[in-house]
Amino acid sequence: MATRIKSICKELGIRPDLIRRLSIANFEAEMNVIMYADQADLSFVVLPEAVRVVVADRGPGIPDIELAMTPGWSTATPEMRARGFGAGLGLPNIKKSADEFLVESTPGVGTTLTYVIRLA
Amino acid sequence: MSYDLPDTPEGDRPASKHSIVFDRERCVGCVECCKACPTGAIRVRGGCAVADPELCIDCGECIRWCRHGAMHAATATSADLRRFKYTVALPSLTLYSQFGRDVEPAQVLRALRTLGFDDVYDLSAMCDMHASATDAYLSECRGPWPKISVTCPAVIHLIQLRYPDMIENLLPIETARELAAKLLRRRLVAEKGLDPGDIGIFFITPCSAMLQSIHYPEALEASYLDGGFSISEFYGPLLRAIKAHGPVDNPPPISERGLLWAMAGGEIAGLRNANTMTVAGVRDVLRVFDHIEEGKLQAVDFIEAYICPDGCISGQLTVENRYAARRTVQQIVRRHGRRAGEGAVVPEEKVRAMLREHFFDLEEHLKARPVRPLGRSLREAAARKREEERVLADLPARNCAACGAPSCAAHAEDVARGQAALDDCVFVRIKRLEEELASTKESTHE
Repeated sequence: MATRIKSICKELGIRPDLIRRLSIANFEAEMNVIMYADQADLSFVVLPEAVRVVVADRGPGIPDIELAMTPGWSTATPEMRARGFGAGLGLPNIKKSADEFLVESTPGVGTTLTYVIRLA
Repeated sequence: MSYDLPDTPEGDRPASKHSIVFDRERCVGCVECCKACPTGAIRVRGGCAVADPELCIDCGECIRWCRHGAMHAATATSADLRRFKYTVALPSLTLYSQFGRDVEPAQVLRALRTLGFDDVYDLSAMCDMHASATDAYLSECRGPWPKISVTCPAVIHLIQLRYPDMIENLLPIETARELAAKLLRRRLVAEKGLDPGDIGIFFITPCSAMLQSIHYPEALEASYLDGGFSISEFYGPLLRAIKAHGPVDNPPPISERGLLWAMAGGEIAGLRNANTMTVAGVRDVLRVFDHIEEGKLQAVDFIEAYICPDGCISGQLTVENRYAARRTVQQIVRRHGRRAGEGAVVPEEKVRAMLREHFFDLEEHLKARPVRPLGRSLREAAARKREEERVLADLPARNCAACGAPSCAAHAEDVARGQAALDDCVFVRIKRLEEELASTKESTHE
């Protein structure tokens, strides 16, 4: 998905540095879905002043969002870590790359990430 | 000075900043080139192939796939040679691979002289130095990884056009052919007292991309080369000259490390750094570059990439088939190249010193080549993107290219941009006719 959004952004003529930030956020969000959830819906909205991505998964949910936002904190299994993931930087990275970032989560139901990158 | 050269086709000039000429007389309007073009630059309109100069990367895939000889490279002419008092031929190492395994590079160089050049120059030593410089650079470089070779100009153009984020990955060392011309001109001025402007250095090229890079270099204000001839146009006269003169006594040494550069894998074969990779051929290059763009190959130090399927020996302006050419290179190397471990032609310490003195540096920064976006504003672009997706849903997904665009997706984009009509698609047109027929039948029944 991250790759597809990137190619759409290129076609639309969005600035390369903004595409790069968006791609980092998309990649992290995508990896979270792959590692923790079975399924997710991604919506990508292009507005005149910003682009917004909403990733809503049906996964285990995050019990303590504040803790999950702490750089270095991770629930990744040793197997995920062996593949180079699970450094505890996923959500913090999205926050760093995006201009606005919101995490909503209900344990047992799923997590919804919303992030915005301003174009101006 | 007279030159014993074949006549190059006159006529149309290539589009600005490009090297490929499309011949409307020969084009039959098939879609081979259109489907082969890696950047989707070609459309067949009015029964003729046309290339969008904004998207063309001069890779020459259209020349390779055209069965009607409707494209050719705009090479130099004897008139270009006559502009100079002293002319030098600087052949691509690929030229040595074209005449079979028994013909020595020295024979090829001598044959070039008999065509009328005042001097000839062997590129293998400079390629050898280039390899040392690359090793030295890689050992001190801090990324971004992997570094990508700049030998193939079509690869540079592809990155500028499609992968602007990867421009920093390009190895900032000038190509061996330009460095050789730079050094050679200096030497001729010093040794023969020639005026630099009186010296014409001509590259004998295996491809349209290198030819284009002489006239419109990306990382130089002006090329050190003065023009280019194709291997294929020199082939006949050279073969006759080689046959007429027989072997050369005491041929000058050539570098094995350098000679291998003619083919894919040759550039990394001579490196001390073994954390390297070779990728060749349009589709594979695109696939690997997608991976690099996604950050997946950062553990690799250096990638040698060619648009042509087997590096320069498979350039579309060569004559010998690439498998035979590969065998010839290997035999020449085995016959009298330096053995591995024998060391470089120029000591590595000296090359390191030259690197510090910026001899190898690219003179100008490589820049991205932005393509016009879908619309003038984001709003217009987004609207067109939606239109494009709507149109694509109506298309048959056969990618038959009968409409003149290489794929249904490309046709959908053309329609969204207002450059083609939906019913240029034969499937859409048949469906419409069937619908019309059905509705007339219905009305006659009533």
